Amino acid sequence: MKETVDGIIGAGGFQMIINIVIILLKIAAVVAVALLHVAYATYWERKVIGHMQVRLGPREVGPFGLFQPFADGIKLFFKEDIIPANADKPLFYLAPVIFFVAALTSLSVLPFFNGFVIADINVGLLFLFAMSSLGAYGIVLSGWSSNSKYAFLGGMRSASQIISYEIAMGLSLVGVMMLAGSLNLTDIVKAQQQYPLGIFAIPQILGFFVFVVAAFAETNRLPFDLPEAESELVAGYFTEYSGFRFALFFLGEYTGMLIMSAIAALCFLGGWGLPAFITNNVPHILALVLGLFWFLIKVYAFMFFYYWIRATLPRYRYDQLMAIGWKLLIPLALANIVLTGLVKIWVKGIL
Amino acid sequence: MTSGKFLRTVFFVEILKGLGVTFRTLFTPPVTRRYPKVKVPAKPGFRGLHALAKNADGKLKCVGCGLCGAYCPSKCIYIYTVEGEDHNKVVDRYEIDVLRCIFCGFCVEACPFGAITLSEHYEYSNSSRQAFYMTKDKLLENWDKYFAGPKGERYFRDFWQPRSENFTGREDQAMFSRVKLKEKK
Repeated sequence: MKETVDGIIGAGGFQMIINIVIILLKIAAVVAVALLHVAYATYWERKVIGHMQVRLGPREVGPFGLFQPFADGIKLFFKEDIIPANADKPLFYLAPVIFFVAALTSLSVLPFFNGFVIADINVGLLFLFAMSSLGAYGIVLSGWSSNSKYAFLGGMRSASQIISYEIAMGLSLVGVMMLAGSLNLTDIVKAQQQYPLGIFAIPQILGFFVFVVAAFAETNRLPFDLPEAESELVAGYFTEYSGFRFALFFLGEYTGMLIMSAIAALCFLGGWGLPAFITNNVPHILALVLGLFWFLIKVYAFMFFYYWIRATLPRYRYDQLMAIGWKLLIPLALANIVLTGLVKIWVKGIL
Repeated sequence: MTSGKFLRTVFFVEILKGLGVTFRTLFTPPVTRRYPKVKVPAKPGFRGLHALAKNADGKLKCVGCGLCGAYCPSKCIYIYTVEGEDHNKVVDRYEIDVLRCIFCGFCVEACPFGAITLSEHYEYSNSSRQAFYMTKDKLLENWDKYFAGPKGERYFRDFWQPRSENFTGREDQAMFSRVKLKEKK
């Protein structure tokens, strides 16, 4: 087999095919695992918020309602696919795909444990920003193409909100980039090992705060869920969507939350970095597994924070949203950059 | 802005308090009642589905006076009487359109014989309108279903007690002949 393949495409080509197969397997694993996590994120959210509101949450489908995500998925899959008569059909079809693909593509640069990342590119963070902005296109296009005032208003709100908060989020991560000296997420995680507790959240407390607030706004979650404000806009930009197209938006939103949580865990909370006394005393494989769990615990803690905030805070007014973004978060993030730069110059050897 | 208020704003004291409240309620037992599995008994005097009372002989108590129908605010009681064999009044049809009923219980109060009652039964959803049109037979059936046994009797006595049982009156007082006959027994 190998000889034949070598005969056709040469030894280097064979190596390339092996690499492509490995990458495809990695992609399949990551997408499958991520979508399963997303499915159970919805279940977990309903449980947490239910109990915070002194309710039970899903209980009926399977033991403790554990099959609820699958029941929802099957229901959405078999629902009638309604397209508004005056919708801009090509864009209407395209918008959820853009949104979902942008969310899933972000998964490719996230290192889940030491050495496991689909695309270990050196502009990882920049790529994540690019993808989250691309997701906004899906939202804006869905709002535009639905030919509905609610969807349109939702899309417009989302566009302005994501543009405003993207700046704050990008600036908040500049501090992390300066400390790590790299945009590659693996390097950022490794750079955190020299810091107290192995996290950037302590030296970058301002940046972390700005990032958390901006992450909530980026993923259209409460208290910044203006684009899908139920009380004013029915459901916002996906009002006219039904069936599986709606499911794509839904999955995209939750994948976005997962990615924001992963960025928070990787850039501020130390990612999969375990203390040295653990990594030195256990076998390499076990250290990798422990690192993965350590990373997932952080991701889920951040997801829980998302739900916790949702159960606690009401929605901000639109002008308040803009005021927080432009008058509070961006100046704070800029101040953080200046502070980080000054500290890095003055106390070079220590930090 | 005082310095205290400024610090409270900067450190989100209000939001943190709110987060504390929601975190505490996360561990309190839920108040949800899982309805089809756990049923809440109706409160005493609950006004549910109608029933026509039977007397000790198992006969209809209703004499067809029509007071309930006259009193009914939504006019959903229809009574038709015919002349019986020995020229007495016989209730031929007694029908209630339950979908129009507002469950005020005025018919029960109006009835001098305690013939119409409201049971504790409230789970009678159906997908046909016909099922909510109660005929005399159905209403009598309801009596057997929901007022049978000591529990039903007690419920009837405590909440839908017929006025005629309080109404002793004098011997020479003008009365419906049927009431007088009963009192003498």
